[in-house]
Amino acid sequence: MKESRVPYGLLALGLALLVWGSYWGLFLAPREAYMGDVQRIMYVHVPTAWNAMLALTFAFACALLSLFRDDPVWDARLEGALEVGVVLSALLCMQGAIWAKPTWGVWWDWDPRLTTTAVLVFAFGGILALREFVDDPVKRATWSAVAAIIAYVDVPIVYFSVKWWNSLHQTQSSPETVSRAFHWPLRINAFGMLFLMCGLISLRARLAFLRREEETA
Amino acid sequence: MTPADTGVISGGWGFVWAAYSVSAVILTGYAVSVLARYRAQRRRRGEVKR
Repeated sequence: MKESRVPYGLLALGLALLVWGSYWGLFLAPREAYMGDVQRIMYVHVPTAWNAMLALTFAFACALLSLFRDDPVWDARLEGALEVGVVLSALLCMQGAIWAKPTWGVWWDWDPRLTTTAVLVFAFGGILALREFVDDPVKRATWSAVAAIIAYVDVPIVYFSVKWWNSLHQTQSSPETVSRAFHWPLRINAFGMLFLMCGLISLRARLAFLRREEETA
Repeated sequence: MTPADTGVISGGWGFVWAAYSVSAVILTGYAVSVLARYRAQRRRRGEVKR
């Protein structure tokens, strides 16, 4: 993997967009009619959700390529995407709990969306733990790729859980169901989180690749 | 009319600040951790130019 300044640029751009989008969401966007100011949590919660799912989808693609191409670069990218995906998913659960308390009256409820998201954190977190226990880099790459493909089954279940079951969590919003006044801070933060996620996955993958080089040297 | 009657939530800025603070702390902490581990690994390989 080549050394590049691009990940640092992505981190800086992501951070700048997140500061701008959060300022807009906190101070400039109007108060929502029913949830009031609490709805402002959406501007950070929804981008986290989208990007957590994206990171884990990238991990799934890396797992497939790692298995079929037998290239350590894909295993390193898998490790990077897994770790970033788990961090974002865990953060998603925390933000959701903070939003749930004033709106649902409880910090946590074992409803389908929350339960499947918790399963996601533990399943992919378990794969990261598995990687720490396997010393052979070839076995580690194969086993974690297979485990990531199996664990990925939960990602579409998380997405469709609010449609398939009677969930306390609201269904997916679309530009048609969200007021135009809320669009821009949401979009800016979504792109900010996307750039941050790409920069972090890239750096974390390089770290994994350097460690593997050291192991096999 | 109480909030329970209207279904409208009033206040709640404490929860908003908590959500943004938790996000900022976790994302910043994780980014610093990745950068520190990456630099340490590069230093071990002797790649960092002094």
